[in-house]
Amino acid sequence: MFSEDTILLFYEITDVIIAGLSTGSVYALMAVGMTLVYGVTKAFNFAYGDFFNMGGYFAWILIFGIGFQFGGYLTVLVIVMPLMFAVGYGLEKLMVAPLRKRADWENKVMMLTLGLALFLSSLYMVVFGVRMKSLPPILEGTLEVGQLVFAYQDIMIFVMSLGGILLFGWMLNNTRIGMAVKAVAQNPVGAKIVGIPKERIFAATFAISTVMVGFGGILLSQKWFINPNSGGTIMVKAWVVTAFGGMGSIRGGLYAAFIIGMMEAFVGWLFGMSYGIIALFILLLATLALRPQGLMGKGD
Amino acid sequence: MLKVSNLNTYYGQSHVLRDVSVSVEKGEVVVLLGPNGHGKSTLLKSICGLVEKTKGQISYRNMDINGLTTEKIVNLGLIYIAENRELFPYLTVLENLKLGAYSKNARSHEKENLERVFELFPRLVERRKQFASTMSGGEARMLAVARGLMSNADFLCIDEPSLGLQPSLRYEIFSTIKQINQQGKTVFLVEQNIPQIAELADRIYAMEEGHITFEGNKDEALSDDRLKEIFLGM
Repeated sequence: MFSEDTILLFYEITDVIIAGLSTGSVYALMAVGMTLVYGVTKAFNFAYGDFFNMGGYFAWILIFGIGFQFGGYLTVLVIVMPLMFAVGYGLEKLMVAPLRKRADWENKVMMLTLGLALFLSSLYMVVFGVRMKSLPPILEGTLEVGQLVFAYQDIMIFVMSLGGILLFGWMLNNTRIGMAVKAVAQNPVGAKIVGIPKERIFAATFAISTVMVGFGGILLSQKWFINPNSGGTIMVKAWVVTAFGGMGSIRGGLYAAFIIGMMEAFVGWLFGMSYGIIALFILLLATLALRPQGLMGKGD
Repeated sequence: MLKVSNLNTYYGQSHVLRDVSVSVEKGEVVVLLGPNGHGKSTLLKSICGLVEKTKGQISYRNMDINGLTTEKIVNLGLIYIAENRELFPYLTVLENLKLGAYSKNARSHEKENLERVFELFPRLVERRKQFASTMSGGEARMLAVARGLMSNADFLCIDEPSLGLQPSLRYEIFSTIKQINQQGKTVFLVEQNIPQIAELADRIYAMEEGHITFEGNKDEALSDDRLKEIFLGM
């Protein structure tokens, strides 16, 4: 019925779509974390990409440095997630919170986190060296459906980041702290009036976003390697996803992440991986020119 | 119950409250009258820890609360109900109310307080699944008061509850406040002018340019010609 070439093309496209979905889901996770911090605290975290690498390095230390055999990635997640939370919370309290009391603090936070990003990538180079590290796949092997072959790794990455996003969404809507986060985002004065400790919510929000991007780092580093200098690139991707989706819109960020994940996969397949970043910037420019508020942003 | 003495409050360079002393006893409704922009709201905000710079004593149940965070003050049973309501626009009425019970002291009473505010404001029951932003001015005002009650506070600082409401709704909100007072809450209320003052207030203060210029009970207020003319509209 179909020629052999057509069938091959179909398989290839399916592969590309799977790759797009799995990276897209991690982008979604990162974009949600970034949008969250922006939506609640109105501050930008330029060290975001380096927290992605931090997640990867923490996992690498546990798996290769210490050599955990027990529980595999489950043990890694149980240890690294609280660690990322603590790092995020501590950094917010120590570095961002004191700036919040000053005039023009948004710009100061940007500068500070930019400095933190430089510091972290240099720190990674000193501690781990310039060579890239790799993480083992979370689950080896493939799933074969007829002639189609899916790597379990891709499926796991997709399922886990989607699970992370859903868990986050559930927390936001069903827990006391989640409701407090929404309250602070919608009306900081109102939140203060009812006795919500705003400062603590800011720190918790920052910490949750650190956990999300760190989780993304553990997932995606299995495919991409951990590179001490890649924080900037990841930061740019998270930024483009967030801007394309609409600043402060979680739903917009989700759509944007999958669109961009797919776009990268298809551009990579058609023209080569290095064109992915070019496509990304073209998309950003087009967004800024045609619809500066992004897909679902409210605009100012 | 509440005693403010020699309070001075500053917004940046401007000196808003000047040596203000007021006191409110348990079970009273005390009304603070005064023209717009003369520091009435600032006094309520100072009491509830919502202003950065205050000097002087604020004691609540013989405890010094000046300088405490709002979070701690709310937990002690004092709540500020804002003139511009400060609701959470994209949360439902019910979610707004539940957030009103955020403080530690309020959590264990959330259920009974919810029942009580729904009894006081039956219209909120119908609206409970609606976003706060979709409510009319009168309903939003009711929600603001109801959210304040959810904090399980004994002492309510209510800032111009009648602002922007038509007369019938004003009357409704004042009679609800009276009802809340009869249920045992102490009320410190700020208004620009209210003809219904006689039915509501136990005692009255007037504030002009950051000073307290009148202090007295209802009868004294009603026999003070200047006060009657300027603030009570009689």
